[in-house]
Amino acid sequence: MAAPLELSCWGGGWGLPSVHSESLVVMAYAKFSGAPLKVKVIDNTWRGSRGDVPILTTEDNIISQPAKILNFLRKQKYNADYELSAKQGADTLAYIALIEEKLLPAVLHTFWVESDNYFSVTRPWFASRIPFPLSLILPGRMSKGALNRILLTRGEPPLYHLREVEAQIYRDAKECLNLLSNRLGTSQFFFGDTPSTLDAYVFGFLAPLYKVRFPKGQLQGHLQRLSNLCRFCDDILHSYFRLSLGAFSCMNRNQQQIDLGEVHSHDSTT
Amino acid sequence: MASGREPGTPPPSRWAATRRLGLGNPRARGGARRWRQRKRSPSTVSCAGSSWPGLAVTLGSSRLHRRPGGLCESEPQPAPRLVAAGDAGVSEEDAEGREERKPRARGRPAAMSLAAEAFVSQIAATEPWPENATLYQQLKGEQILLSDNAASLAVQAFLQMCNLPIKVVCRANAEYMSPSGKVPFIHVGNQVVSELGPIVQFVKAKGHSLSDGLDEVQKAEMKAYMELVNNMLLTAELYLQWCDEATVGEITHARYGSPYPWPLNHILAYQKQWEVRRKMKAIGWGNKTLDQVLEDVDQCCQALSQRLGTQPYFFNKQPTELDALVFGHLYTILTTQLTNDELSEKVKNYSNLLAFCRRIEQHYFEDRGKVSSSVKSS
Repeated sequence: MAAPLELSCWGGGWGLPSVHSESLVVMAYAKFSGAPLKVKVIDNTWRGSRGDVPILTTEDNIISQPAKILNFLRKQKYNADYELSAKQGADTLAYIALIEEKLLPAVLHTFWVESDNYFSVTRPWFASRIPFPLSLILPGRMSKGALNRILLTRGEPPLYHLREVEAQIYRDAKECLNLLSNRLGTSQFFFGDTPSTLDAYVFGFLAPLYKVRFPKGQLQGHLQRLSNLCRFCDDILHSYFRLSLGAFSCMNRNQQQIDLGEVHSHDSTT
Repeated sequence: MASGREPGTPPPSRWAATRRLGLGNPRARGGARRWRQRKRSPSTVSCAGSSWPGLAVTLGSSRLHRRPGGLCESEPQPAPRLVAAGDAGVSEEDAEGREERKPRARGRPAAMSLAAEAFVSQIAATEPWPENATLYQQLKGEQILLSDNAASLAVQAFLQMCNLPIKVVCRANAEYMSPSGKVPFIHVGNQVVSELGPIVQFVKAKGHSLSDGLDEVQKAEMKAYMELVNNMLLTAELYLQWCDEATVGEITHARYGSPYPWPLNHILAYQKQWEVRRKMKAIGWGNKTLDQVLEDVDQCCQALSQRLGTQPYFFNKQPTELDALVFGHLYTILTTQLTNDELSEKVKNYSNLLAFCRRIEQHYFEDRGKVSSSVKSS
């Protein structure tokens, strides 16, 4: 379709096109299926939208959640799952559910709830991309939303304590990573040689965990020991995101040096 | 009660642990802000870390027997405790008395889980499966709801598949008796375990397992499909019961509070509805319409049907816990009468799923002289 598709999402850093998992899922799927997506990165002007990122804007409508965006792209004939069999399609749904149930709480915790990570990495990064005075409010709200989600889905009523569930969510996340690693094995993508929706989801959730430098990253440490998943993320970054990556890493290298006062040696992936 | 004592057994009482560390009552403060407040108390971290082994030995006897829902869910480990106490990576949250659930996940996953599983098997395998094991659920005729019935049926099917005898007991307060707040739960020997996941692990520790014959990839698939059922089917059932106005008004409120006198029945029903709606909003289902939910159910059933294909069970010849879970949910959906039949129509579209349910019902329930539970709302 010739109509322009515009995606507004959070920007990139640490060698990634986007630091936000859901935005990354949509961007990866668009690359895999060949959809001509114009990416509009949210910056700290008031014109950028902050609502329910990522948001796909077409001429007629505005679509907000990754699942719905992917459905829309498939209806527009940008289908990355064309060659999958019925059983593989069913497997895709199942593994996506597994990632959302087991891996997502721990990823949310690492990014938004763990105080060291949140105050030194996540909050400054997001605050620098949101105009004042929203930058004081929105990151806090996102963090509370993440904590809420973890507690309501994993905590036990009626008191809902984080500490009770922390160990469990990390254990579940590590098990999930092990399962994904077993499933991937030595092949390049999850279903044969061409990437599909499942690859987009796995990449979207694993890449930020893999690349962003956290002070307290026990899940990161576990992921780095699973070499085939790291190779998977690196392959996709090299093959599909290389051209835009140069721009991202240059732009963000300076930003990080200013923000954190350190040099990140993991930046160069090109 | 000191029979389960081993060096480094997790201290049983969270209250005692936190009081001893001088941190006050954590439950008194709001849950959401505590993780920020803890950032300001680094001094307690160092002393807590070093006193762990001493703490573990001096604090009372184990609460393992009273709360093994926790035992099975989090697999507390004694050996890792001693390692973790000296571990430099102990974080603030770690050190504040949540020892029984914590330490394992700090950089040594493989060793920790081996020790954990050895401990769990030791405790659980000391006794064989008793004859008087009971499963508790809510009252079948008047009180139990769609989602709870599905969960209970799944556990019953699983235990039947493992050939373990179980007696089903209906109690109005089953939800409050359960260690995790969810039904069903089983009472085996002197341990209480709730929910299918922990029950499967507990039964495995006793030496019965349905999924031993699967290889790693198949186990991953099985877990993924179980999450799919939990994510889509269970959430859709909860949505239908508690967020759809017609069903809530006609069926759910009346059933949920039926054992209690006025006004308690209304209060409990509203409280539960508020909780479930909060959860739906947090996971993004708050804005979904009923049609979207039914579409999701359809997608899920399609995925299950494609995975099942023409095989008798999901992993060829032998049933696994996935079969039990799918049977529990699908059978309950098919046999429960709601305000409209849309949900069961979605399932009836797939004939191999219907045949699957019929097969399991015949083989594991009718053949053994038990009548499978079905709920009819009045």
